[in-house]
Amino acid sequence: MRRRTFMGTAAATTVALAAPRVHGQATAARTLRIVPQANLTSLDPVWTTATITRTHSFLVYDTILAVDSNFQVKPQLADGWQIEDDGRTYIFTLRDGQRFHNGEPVRAQDCVASIKRWWARDGFGQEIAKRHDSIEALDDKRFRIKLQRPFSHLLSAIAKPNASPCFVMPESVANTDPFTAITSFVGSGPYRFLPDEWNPGSRVAYAKFDGYVPRQEPPDWTAGGKLANAERMEWHIITDPATAGAALQSGEVDFWELPLHDLLPVLARNRNIEVVNRDPIGTVGMMRLNHLHPPFDNPEIRRALLLAVNQEDYLKAVVGDDPSMFSTSYSYWSNGSPMHTEAGADALKVRSIERARAALQSAGYSGQKVVQLHASDFPTIAAQSQVTADLLRRLGMNLEFVATDWGTVVQRRASREPSDRGGWNVFHTTWAGPDWFDPAAAVGMRTNGLNAWFGWPTSEKIEALRDAWFDAPNLAEQKRIATEIQVEAFQVVPHVPLGHFLSPSAMRRNVTGLIKSPVVLFYNMAKTA
Amino acid sequence: MLAYIARRILSTIPVMLVVAFVVFSMLILSPGDPAAVIAGDQATPEDVERIRAALGLDRPFFVQFAEFLWRLVNFDLGTSIFTNLPVTHMIAQRIEPTVALMVLTILFSVTIAVPMGVIAAWKAGSWIDRAVMVFAVLGFSVPVFVIGYLLAYIFALELDWLPVQGYTPIARGFWPFLENLILPTIALGSVYIALIARITRATMLEVLAQDYIRTAKAKGLGTRPILFLHALKNAAVPISTVVGIGIALLIGGAVVTESVFAIPGLGRLTVDAILRRDYPVIQGVVLLFSFVYVLVNLMIDLLYTVFDPRIRY
Repeated sequence: MRRRTFMGTAAATTVALAAPRVHGQATAARTLRIVPQANLTSLDPVWTTATITRTHSFLVYDTILAVDSNFQVKPQLADGWQIEDDGRTYIFTLRDGQRFHNGEPVRAQDCVASIKRWWARDGFGQEIAKRHDSIEALDDKRFRIKLQRPFSHLLSAIAKPNASPCFVMPESVANTDPFTAITSFVGSGPYRFLPDEWNPGSRVAYAKFDGYVPRQEPPDWTAGGKLANAERMEWHIITDPATAGAALQSGEVDFWELPLHDLLPVLARNRNIEVVNRDPIGTVGMMRLNHLHPPFDNPEIRRALLLAVNQEDYLKAVVGDDPSMFSTSYSYWSNGSPMHTEAGADALKVRSIERARAALQSAGYSGQKVVQLHASDFPTIAAQSQVTADLLRRLGMNLEFVATDWGTVVQRRASREPSDRGGWNVFHTTWAGPDWFDPAAAVGMRTNGLNAWFGWPTSEKIEALRDAWFDAPNLAEQKRIATEIQVEAFQVVPHVPLGHFLSPSAMRRNVTGLIKSPVVLFYNMAKTA
Repeated sequence: MLAYIARRILSTIPVMLVVAFVVFSMLILSPGDPAAVIAGDQATPEDVERIRAALGLDRPFFVQFAEFLWRLVNFDLGTSIFTNLPVTHMIAQRIEPTVALMVLTILFSVTIAVPMGVIAAWKAGSWIDRAVMVFAVLGFSVPVFVIGYLLAYIFALELDWLPVQGYTPIARGFWPFLENLILPTIALGSVYIALIARITRATMLEVLAQDYIRTAKAKGLGTRPILFLHALKNAAVPISTVVGIGIALLIGGAVVTESVFAIPGLGRLTVDAILRRDYPVIQGVVLLFSFVYVLVNLMIDLLYTVFDPRIRY
């Protein structure tokens, strides 16, 4: 073979061999690979309030309204709204050109059915349901909600980004019973869910929805334009934190939503990785007490506990000593919320074991057993729970520490039985910051006894104030009432608030477009080659 | 022989029924509630109750068990409580990675461990023997996940030779498929190699002390034919028994290995389902594992007749 022929053949072979790889690289460059915080198992944002389902839903579905970083309600699917009849009637008009992934237009009838399904389950939504007179589509573009009396929170409820937001589904899907999971996953959001590629526990895939018409405003929390900047998105479910960290370092994935705090220094040292704080508000810790049984059925004992708690101990147990990663919050309302106040929180600033011990004694604590449920499979919750176990022992309480998994905790915490018959006295959990923005969001602040959230606190005063908050005509009045609720709450102690900690994400430096928001939003993100 | 196989296969039916009952009872009676997991933190106790009722989990134990059995005799493993997908579909999605991992691990382990054990026995008391025994002790003592992390750190992160995690189906090419399975196979194989190497050495030591081996040596037969044709064949029955028993070890190890290397196999499906209390999925996977185990034992029993013609059924 002549040299020139050999070189030509070799070059052609090299190109031919390289071609699929180049193509593969181009495809990889258009695919954003994300390690989400949990496994996506349920796809219905009404059926479950799982955070991961909400994250999925913000890609696949759109919302009628949204909230920006100034807590202002903005139109999203809606073009706008009119308020008539002294605040008793709201008429919403939809934007032009919005379509579902199956090509059908988004109609007012879809919005009405979606709102009805959502308000059957969501706490804030139920407040509208209680007050509404009628809800109906006026035509394909407009729908109307008539109220029995003015309700100034109506827009905030429909726009809310946290817990269970009001996502719009096709009418036929939204007519599904709210306690039964939907089986069709057609939305009108910027990404299409690819059901054939869904392998629960391993992989979730989305493709850009070419028919999506984004708003022109820049993205700001859930408001503004939702751009599908990546052609394709894949969620890689990696449950082992060390493996997820290694996959990010080796470039096998591009974004890790919730790295273990212990691994952040390692990731930050890698020059190809950026550790970013995605959530400006952070996560809120909670020590929940059972009000039905001794010893925490005694309000004086609950208040004694407040004297001993040092929020910094709890926050450092989760995130370490870096003070930029946490902030104390002597309030039941989230940092950053307009309702935030430290009124009535003096007991939480005492931080004295001795005073707490004395208060326990004068409250009549006589060695009753305290059963603490401890979920060892959630690192943040487990860390805070261990601080409480230590605290209760130092206070001289008769602690039974039940170490188990989260699946058992969520079952056992529902038991209203005494602790010696399968019940409990104290457990820990964490919440997204917006879940404690105000009385509408804070389900844990309900004090309607056996109908309240686990722990079942009772306070007619707080319930009456909550009703008054909903009817407050303006923000100043809402703040005043929220302050009163808090002052009373520090007497009732439905739970002990444990401050805020940040949970940063880690991403390759070629990833762009991350929206900083208290809820996780993956649209708008992309990566350069 | 055929009658024996038929009898053994028929005998799996009562075994599977007992397994089904035990698994079902353990799940229903153990703590945990899928309805509470589905409802999430925002839900009220009433919401949880309504979801439980919608899922049929509030019905009496025997009603649920009867329904489960009826589905089972119709070859229907039910539907996942969480994903709404048929359990058979979820198992089908996950079976290839687990089977691939286990087959590769068995091949790799037997290929390495049997010669190791044979040589250790042949050179009993030498440094080779001691090295094999040290390796076997390490293989038993170091947890699979530690070996997995070490391998991933060295070969994936530092040397960048192999991927850290994931799985590529064999349909997308043999090398991408193999690339993802090399490290998990070595990690999972470490215990298995240790087990087989030890039993091979012990059995070979016994066989090598037999008169016929001395006779073979006296007749001037070479080392290799003595070891691999005469001794190993006679040592094969206990070795194959241990290989079979080791399948259970592999199933347990696969759960850990699949988690460490993010392989979407049945092991991870089982762990995820247990953490969520996805009863139909747990029941389906455990029944499948039990069936495989029973089947493997049958195959091992049949293999005995190949190694030892005196054994007849």
